[in-house]
Amino acid sequence: MNLANMTDYHHFPIYAIMVLFLGAFVVSVAGAKPSGNLKNPAGARAWIALCATGLSLFFLVMLIKPVMLEGEIIAYWMGSRAIAGGYAIGIALEVDALSLFFALLIATAVFVSAIYSIRYMVHDDCVPQYYVLYCLLAGGVLGLVLSGDIFNMFVMVEILTFAAVALTAFRTKVYGALEAAFKYLVVGCMGSTAILTGTIMLYAQYHTLNLAQLASLIPGTLNNATKLAFAFLYIGFSTKAFIVPFHPLAADAHGAAPASISVLISGVLTKSGIYGIIRLTYFLFQTMNLGSMQFMLVFIGSVSMFVCVTMALAQHDFKRLLAYHSISQIGYVLAAVGLSTSLGISAGLYHAMNHTLFKGLLFLAAGAVLHETGTTDLGKLGGLSKKMPHTTALFLIGAFSISGVPPFNGFASKWMIYQASYQKAVETNNIGFLAVTIIALVTSTLTLASFVKVSQSVFFGQLPREYENVKEVPFGMRLAMGILAVLCILTGIFPNTVTGVLTQPAAKAVADVGEYITAMGFKSNLPVPEVSFVQVGVWEPINWLLILCIALLALTIVAVAGKYDRVSENEGEQVETKYQLFYGGEKNVYSQVGGGDLFWGFKHNWRHYFDFMHDLHSGIVNDYALWAVVALALAIVYMMIVL
Amino acid sequence: MIQFNYIAAFFLIVLGFYTIVTKYNLVKTVIGMSVMDYGVNLLIITIGYTPGGTAPIFTAGELTQASYFVDPIPQALTLTSIVIGACVTAMSMSLVIRLHESYGTLDTREIRRLRG
Repeated sequence: MNLANMTDYHHFPIYAIMVLFLGAFVVSVAGAKPSGNLKNPAGARAWIALCATGLSLFFLVMLIKPVMLEGEIIAYWMGSRAIAGGYAIGIALEVDALSLFFALLIATAVFVSAIYSIRYMVHDDCVPQYYVLYCLLAGGVLGLVLSGDIFNMFVMVEILTFAAVALTAFRTKVYGALEAAFKYLVVGCMGSTAILTGTIMLYAQYHTLNLAQLASLIPGTLNNATKLAFAFLYIGFSTKAFIVPFHPLAADAHGAAPASISVLISGVLTKSGIYGIIRLTYFLFQTMNLGSMQFMLVFIGSVSMFVCVTMALAQHDFKRLLAYHSISQIGYVLAAVGLSTSLGISAGLYHAMNHTLFKGLLFLAAGAVLHETGTTDLGKLGGLSKKMPHTTALFLIGAFSISGVPPFNGFASKWMIYQASYQKAVETNNIGFLAVTIIALVTSTLTLASFVKVSQSVFFGQLPREYENVKEVPFGMRLAMGILAVLCILTGIFPNTVTGVLTQPAAKAVADVGEYITAMGFKSNLPVPEVSFVQVGVWEPINWLLILCIALLALTIVAVAGKYDRVSENEGEQVETKYQLFYGGEKNVYSQVGGGDLFWGFKHNWRHYFDFMHDLHSGIVNDYALWAVVALALAIVYMMIVL
Repeated sequence: MIQFNYIAAFFLIVLGFYTIVTKYNLVKTVIGMSVMDYGVNLLIITIGYTPGGTAPIFTAGELTQASYFVDPIPQALTLTSIVIGACVTAMSMSLVIRLHESYGTLDTREIRRLRG
């Protein structure tokens, strides 16, 4: 093979996957003898992992031009074994705009997290194994989204589940890490088994494993076996996306894993589940024109949104709280994707991207706090903004983004989701979709509330004595967070560019299933759809930025000019301070409001709901397995009725 | 008679689910996962089976239109699935050992530090 042939961009998808698996291999070989640098023996391996992830990202970025902008679909047959007698006999990669969109997200998150890992993992033992598993996890997820073969998807799902479970338990001394890993393994394994069962049942009906060929054969030929297969596959991918009722696993796994891995579990693994659901519903079965399927996805998305945000409000561990928020945001993505309009899909994918960026940033900030203080308990932390100003600023960018404060990226995508669901409600005259808009708005408010609580109890307030000597984290970690923060701001200020280059081509690819089938060499008589991304309202980020600046300026003027001193006014008066705003109930007005107490009134009024939810999430693995089985049973019954 | 294979396969899968859901011993949970896996393996191999077919081993010259053999693809898939099942068992057992070391019990009802 000559060089010109090897640098043909059609090979780049397989290079991007191979470089990660090769990286895993090279790291494990490099770990055979101790490196010369005693101060940092894991250094060389960290750089190998960084190079592998960086190269992988490079290959995928090179694909933006042909796939995203020119709309080409790369069909790549391994070993050039293509189609014989009308059946796919080889294993294929098929990269359309949707695959590439998810692959880019994944590669970016993996690369940034690798930068962060270099300094973050210095104090751990077994670091070589960490990087082996890290590369395997990255390769598994990338293989999943680029694959054009459903059995290959299953194999990649298993690889990423194993790597994720092992990495969850990596810090075995961390409170609950082993337990979280075991629960994740049991329910994750049930999910993988469901995917395999669904796959093999499709094979029994259609004698092919190729996604494009399945997509050309399945629609219109549904029988009970294929409906059963659909239910199994759907539940399988749901466990990977951690949507309700699988959210407790996410909370356990995110909380126990090292922060650099939480970024991958939250930003990357959940996306692979969402990708699987999109491929399943829009491509393989093409059932999304049914109202009942739209209802199912939107309903589960809305439930995930609301349940997880309320669960997050009741948490007092930094990372566990972030984990619940993570699934809440995945609920947004699922609900938007389930709307089945081009605008909805585009909005959902945009939010998926933003979620990877801001949630990655927040988890890395939580990791920075853990790295310096050794705890993530909200009740013990406080006042770190004086000691870690850069981390605080970066955290606030992430918090504003996730809460949907303009002009950060969370606002842009949530705004699109509100518009898409509102538009859908207007088009279909269905009040249910309007309820989605309202739930999304309420969830956004609750998200903001809980991040006010986090920033108050971690970064502001009084600094506990034991953290007097806390320092800012090393530059490498701040660099990783800085990259994500810059991306958060850029994707928020230029939403039209981002949607134009990334999400709209992906949404077009979702709408144009016929192209996906014919690109692989199979026959399709699906019409080319009309795609429109017109929004009801207008979104001008520059105006919002100006408004934000004016508001901040006004606030500063009031604060500086007023010099309103609350303390002196209260002196001498024996008022009951308990019921005053913003104070925690102690007599001492300087006392810091405890991490869990900021919304004590709200929590008191909702105590029955919170108690009920707390008891429901019992932490017993049998219960979570039962939820999985019940979800599977419900899915089977629902599919039998509606499909 | 092939129906019995399908019934047995789904029976094994459901038995695996049942074991995972109802048994409070971690080792039994792992056994349940294995049983579930065997059920799927049986399902796969049954789907590839054609009554009266021979082993699918032919070189290019031997293959004729009249050749009648079982579907080889599910057999390859089963091998993959068996390997993955063995990995699952190994990994979960190692986690069980570590859990027993740190919690001193194998009862799932007591291994619930993370909840709510």
